[in-house]
Amino acid sequence: MIRLENINKTYFGAQPLHVLKGINLHIKEGEMVSIMGASGSGKSTLLNILGILDNYDSGDYYLNDKLVKNLTENQAADMRNQLIGFIFQSFNLIPFKTAMENVALPLYYQNVNRKKRNQLAMEYLERFGLKEWADHYPNELSGGQKQRVSMARALVTKPKIILADEPTGALDSKTSAEVMQILREVHHTGITMVIVTHERGIALRTDKIIHLKDGVIEDIEINDFDTINLNSDIK
Amino acid sequence: MDFWQEIIMALSRNKLRTSLTGFAISWGIFILIVLLSAGNGIMNGISAEFSDKSQNTYMIYGGETSKPYMGHGTNRSIRFSDKDIWFLENGFRNVDQVSPRIYLNGFATFNDKSGSIFLQGVKPVFKEINTIKMSEGRFVNELDEKNREKYIVIDKSLCNKLFDEEASPLGQFVIINGIAFKIVGVWEGDVDSNGSNGYVPFSTLKKITNQRHYYMLHFTTKGLETKEDNEAYTDYLRTQLAHLHEFDPDDQAAVYILSSQEEYRQTMKILHTLELFIWIIGFAMLISGIVGVSNIMRITVKERTNEIGIRKAIGAKSRSILTSIVTESMIITTIFGYIGMWLGMVVAEVGGNILSKVQEGKSISLNIVPAIDIRIVLMATALLIVCGILAGFFPARNAVKIKPIEAINYR
Repeated sequence: MIRLENINKTYFGAQPLHVLKGINLHIKEGEMVSIMGASGSGKSTLLNILGILDNYDSGDYYLNDKLVKNLTENQAADMRNQLIGFIFQSFNLIPFKTAMENVALPLYYQNVNRKKRNQLAMEYLERFGLKEWADHYPNELSGGQKQRVSMARALVTKPKIILADEPTGALDSKTSAEVMQILREVHHTGITMVIVTHERGIALRTDKIIHLKDGVIEDIEINDFDTINLNSDIK
Repeated sequence: MDFWQEIIMALSRNKLRTSLTGFAISWGIFILIVLLSAGNGIMNGISAEFSDKSQNTYMIYGGETSKPYMGHGTNRSIRFSDKDIWFLENGFRNVDQVSPRIYLNGFATFNDKSGSIFLQGVKPVFKEINTIKMSEGRFVNELDEKNREKYIVIDKSLCNKLFDEEASPLGQFVIINGIAFKIVGVWEGDVDSNGSNGYVPFSTLKKITNQRHYYMLHFTTKGLETKEDNEAYTDYLRTQLAHLHEFDPDDQAAVYILSSQEEYRQTMKILHTLELFIWIIGFAMLISGIVGVSNIMRITVKERTNEIGIRKAIGAKSRSILTSIVTESMIITTIFGYIGMWLGMVVAEVGGNILSKVQEGKSISLNIVPAIDIRIVLMATALLIVCGILAGFFPARNAVKIKPIEAINYR
């Protein structure tokens, strides 16, 4: 599903910063992978490249067997819209839209008609137990609820991949566990999932942990679910 | 439908800001419309004034030669006499009726009341030449001219000075410089464009003052239709007068020739300049409005950077963001522009009504009433739309340039 070959990325500022130094990575369809690393290790940059939100300097990135390189802005927007669902640490809901409108927004950019859009959005909200909250604005929702709305928004277009940037970073441990539970359930429907986190408790709930250090993959840890108690405390 | 809902949502989110921005545009358009309709009113008033002068009239007055000619030196004064009148009436082409103009300054008394008077001796045709509107009685006629009658036509303000409101001045005698004149008519309004407040027959005044030389001649023409006709005729007149008075036909200062058509053209030229000036002022006002909208759109875009980033991340294309911002700005300018336009039209209309009420009965010669022209409205509409696009485009382009990831992390 995702194949990275020798990806390099440098930020050219006052002091050029070589963030990714030749990343090679293969994530298979239906895998649930986490990326860990200290701040500055390049994990967010990697996620942005995976999400076609940022470009890379050299190497090749294949997404769904298609080379993602030198795309026009419109091509990138289409690929994001059709293949990728994003979940952010700060939820990134649009404040002046209700929960339902937020969930329906990606479909608007797919030119789905209003009725169909709202119907689908309601389905997904219901699935995440937010049916009663559909008409509420983000500032009327709790952190956990907001993250569930943003998950519904990420999934409403039926993407192939979910990219999550510290999805539990702004949540307490109980809500974090709930969110992880939902992500696992989503994963069981066959969606490939990449989660960036700095919490080991979260990473342990994924199939693979990719350890990033100073722009290179230091180690890939395979989790054996038999030895992990999934009900243990996350933090 | 969805597109418009998105736009309306974005605009109604910050109502105060939207309306303050809109106010600048409304104000600009308001001023533009009021100024233009006032200008339009002036144009219409003056055009109407000229159209009253249905006949094409000429005025010639003597100057001083500026070129030596046939043994004559320069600075020789050219004055007209009965000989010129005879030639005009009998020799020159296209001349219809001639009226010279001579003057007398004096003092008019009636019983114990008096006022200064500036008399002009003219022929009956002068009534048409100078579009004199009578309020009572009649103007001097051919019979008066022939019999050298001591008849006088005075203006309204002199009439009010000499006579009580109830008393009719017609048939009364006023004494001017010791000579009694019988009042046969009163004309509307004030002193005429020459500063005169009394007309008497030309022959009468000529005899009284014993003038032989006349400074000014007026005459009506026939058969001159186009601008080219008039220009050719002016040249013809100058050449003929040069023959009679022995001055260089190229000497522009010897006699001055003014046709009412030429006068009309000159006035219109000035008025068009005035109109252009009004457009410039109005446009300058409008530009400050546009800058305001553009500024607000910039701030709006800055504030919404985060939102734009999110939209891009979930699949919005640059074009959809660009169009929505430009449309927002267009809607602000158009809606508020129309409010300003509408208010401007109301003010012009009400002002026009009040002005025409005030002018009613007061017999002001110029009828200046603000008037809306459909052309102005159409032009202003086009201007508004263009302004809206301009005001929105540059901020929108900046918004679209931001990378989604930078936009999402923007705080």
